[in-house]
Amino acid sequence: MMKRDVHFILNGRQTTLSVEPRTTLLRALREYGVTSVKRGCEEGECGTCTVVVDDLAQKSCMMLALEAEGKSVLTVEGLVGPKGELHPIQQAFIEEGAIQCGFCTPGMIMTTYAFLRKTPDPSEDEIRAALAGNLCRCTGYIPIFRAVQKAAKTMRELGHFPGGAR
Amino acid sequence: MKQTVTRNGVGAWTTRKYDLEKAAGTLAFTDDLRFGPELLHARAFRSTKAHAEILSVDVSEAMKVKGVVKVITGKDFIHRFGLYLMDRTPLAIGKVRYVGEPVALVIGETEEAAEEGMLKVAAKYKDLPPIFDPVKAATDNSVLVHPELETYDHVPFITPFPGTNIANWFRIRRGDVDKAFAEAEHVVEEAVNCPQIAHGFLEPHCCICKEDPATGNLTIWSSAQSAFALREIVAKGLDYPLNKIHVIAPPIGGGFGGKAGMTVEALCLAGAMNPEIKGRPVKLYIPREEVMLTSWVRQAYVSKIKLAIDKEGKITAIKNTFYFDTGISAEYGANPVRSAGYSSTGCYYVPNVWTDSYAVYTNKPFGGAYRGFGLPELMGAMEVVIDIAARKIGMDPIEFRLKNMLKPGLPTCTGMPMNAHALDTIVNKIVEKIRLKEKEPATRKGWIRGKGFALALKAPAMPSDAASSAIVKILGDGTVDVLAATMDMGQGAYTAYAQMASEELGIPIEKIKCYYPDTQSHPYDWQTVASRSCWSMGMAVKRAATDAREKLPALYSEYWETEPESITIEHGIVKCKKKGKAEPIGEQIQSGFMMPSGNYVGGPVIGSGSFVPPDVIYPDPETGQSPKSVVHFTVGAVGIDIEVDPATGAVEVNKVSAGYDVGKAVSPINVKGQIEGGTIQGISAGLMEGMYYDEHGKLLTPDFTDYKIATSMDVPREVDSFWEETPEELSPYGNRGVGEHSMISPAPAIDNALFDALGIRIHTYPLGRERVYKAIQAKKNGETDLWEYPYALEQSYKNAIKEWK
Repeated sequence: MMKRDVHFILNGRQTTLSVEPRTTLLRALREYGVTSVKRGCEEGECGTCTVVVDDLAQKSCMMLALEAEGKSVLTVEGLVGPKGELHPIQQAFIEEGAIQCGFCTPGMIMTTYAFLRKTPDPSEDEIRAALAGNLCRCTGYIPIFRAVQKAAKTMRELGHFPGGAR
Repeated sequence: MKQTVTRNGVGAWTTRKYDLEKAAGTLAFTDDLRFGPELLHARAFRSTKAHAEILSVDVSEAMKVKGVVKVITGKDFIHRFGLYLMDRTPLAIGKVRYVGEPVALVIGETEEAAEEGMLKVAAKYKDLPPIFDPVKAATDNSVLVHPELETYDHVPFITPFPGTNIANWFRIRRGDVDKAFAEAEHVVEEAVNCPQIAHGFLEPHCCICKEDPATGNLTIWSSAQSAFALREIVAKGLDYPLNKIHVIAPPIGGGFGGKAGMTVEALCLAGAMNPEIKGRPVKLYIPREEVMLTSWVRQAYVSKIKLAIDKEGKITAIKNTFYFDTGISAEYGANPVRSAGYSSTGCYYVPNVWTDSYAVYTNKPFGGAYRGFGLPELMGAMEVVIDIAARKIGMDPIEFRLKNMLKPGLPTCTGMPMNAHALDTIVNKIVEKIRLKEKEPATRKGWIRGKGFALALKAPAMPSDAASSAIVKILGDGTVDVLAATMDMGQGAYTAYAQMASEELGIPIEKIKCYYPDTQSHPYDWQTVASRSCWSMGMAVKRAATDAREKLPALYSEYWETEPESITIEHGIVKCKKKGKAEPIGEQIQSGFMMPSGNYVGGPVIGSGSFVPPDVIYPDPETGQSPKSVVHFTVGAVGIDIEVDPATGAVEVNKVSAGYDVGKAVSPINVKGQIEGGTIQGISAGLMEGMYYDEHGKLLTPDFTDYKIATSMDVPREVDSFWEETPEELSPYGNRGVGEHSMISPAPAIDNALFDALGIRIHTYPLGRERVYKAIQAKKNGETDLWEYPYALEQSYKNAIKEWK
């Protein structure tokens, strides 16, 4: 199939990828080397491939790479600072034991990122609803709820929301 | 004497190893490895028939697809594989036995080419009658799934019956069951059934295999729980020496038993070892909708339990019949059947025992290892039957359980004395936490509240010679490498081992690292299964760390001209207070110490440790008796508080409390993680999980759209987890296994709570809305029991259980 170029900002850097029209954003990102974006089902069911496109959490298996044209795509690698500093969400996930096998973690963190930008002081119900599209089989979600609360609190105390590279 | 000081040793709350890489997205799983343009991709063409002769497979159109390199069929790769029973071929040969069985493997330059090629393969079949009902398959030999069963090799501790569909028959015969039933005050006989369920790990199976065309050596990168067992199974199946097979197991995205033993690797090898592939690496990634068709599922079961009870409410005899539906392969599934069998009095002391536990072949995807390994199946039935029995004889179910409890020292059903535990303390705590003896009004308008309880137990289910070994290296910068071939699939094994090494060496945990399994660098470990690792590998790691540590005082005492007893290691600093010396561990630990004599002494400090359970003896095949059938049992209990909406059958869990006697929590953050995670997985299984088929054996629930697992919306408001610490005698730190146990008893606890709420007994899992709604309607019609069995026309519980007498 004929390949076409798609231009978008990937973790703060202008990027051009050459893709077939049928290629999903998930496959394009992984092919390019961004392997934090996990493929757990490629059917939009599990959430392990979640990335943040502009300000929205998106399952990258449900989006064609060409649809990213002109947009900003943020993956969990983009949350790590230049000196290796972790984002408060990543830090909270580690501290609260919200990670076991780690396969859902990048997607879970990206969903949390988009959610907390809009909802800086969430209730437990809001957290549960926000994470409903991201499956986790290991932790039973309980420490993940704690981690989201903790990250939100840290950022409220910080007075700002550290952005990923955009 | 240990002479070490550390902050993050055994029992400390720490953060976990590799969580940093997982949070940053930099940890590479198997699918994330890159092999360059030489890499080929494989995709299976699968059977659309449950049982049929293969008349022809036409690959000519597939070969015309651009990028398709080769199509392999069963006749190109005739090898039988299996952990306990060699009944599995990676590609169907001559016959297909279930819908979804691989018939051909298409190899292409890209994943897309392999997929397009797969769609172009055509097969012709001649139908054979299929068998789906495990009870019928066990009792009626008109359809045989494996007529060749006689010719399959198997380990000595399983007993297949050629000429039938029974792949394993495990028995317990103890005491005089008939006499006890004749003399009983009460006899209670009940049955429970449950469909197959899926692991639901988020990382699908992925494997890359490569054959060196010059040497014939194989390299396998795979999302496997057990690098060494995989190597052994492949070696046996191919008749290869072990040293020609190199297995690398990158981090895996959840296992739960579903990546134990050998799963998809032989199928990938069928591609990689084909001469036309000429040594190129072949990758087999299993798409989500094929995962359940390709690897283990938890076996479906039908269990019948009959109890004899005396006037005082003591159980005097038990008679068990368990049919495990193992699908088309029992290569692994033969063993959960044994595991349920040798635990078949549950948490109770019963003097007279008769158990028949069968693995039954049917034309369905195959059963194997799944978190709990036979015990969620056993206890899913047992704890419901105990609840029924207590109510029938007019006793409180908790009192009935306490009265019959398998107290330390009493014989289990295999005759071995029960190990020390604090199960009565756990029961009492849960009774209080859930206020089990109080009836409380529902918190939701129009709903009905109920409370339920269930006990849990499990021993590591493994061969008696399941061995472990570890190597501990102290590096020249004072850091430590631990080589322990356990797969850390999220349970936190590497954190626990680092805590052990820190405890023994006096070196801070931040300086200790464990590496993912590689059969070329790591010493042997049997498997990462059975809740055995922190115990068995724990023994090896502790011995290895101790071995390394013991070399230090000798070296430093000569170096500082003092006695070995005056040397301590504190937070990575070697000290001798007497001489006023203190030095961080440095380069001389690897390069040798220049002693006062001017000579060099020492060289790299390495410790090694090995372990095999010293005293486990296989149960007698006729009676199931053994002085020590298993290494130890971990016990625990679950209490649950639920509400039911009578208008819809919806069930909400208000609170769950789960406690286990872990002996010692080596790594508390991980013990908590295992209890919480397993409890939710158990609730998910109990309320919503089941694999369903159409009448032709086609799976109707192949992905997360149709096979629902718990989401964040399904988690109870309150999840209470706790543990007791009654030390285990033969154990690195008194610890016992805990990885699987939390999965065992949430489902029966929910069933018991539903009875408490509704007054009707549901005998079929899962306890989904539709079923609960049906139960509510049945109760209105005066029914006392709800039984749903997909293979029998008779759906009346009383008639259904009569049928099998």
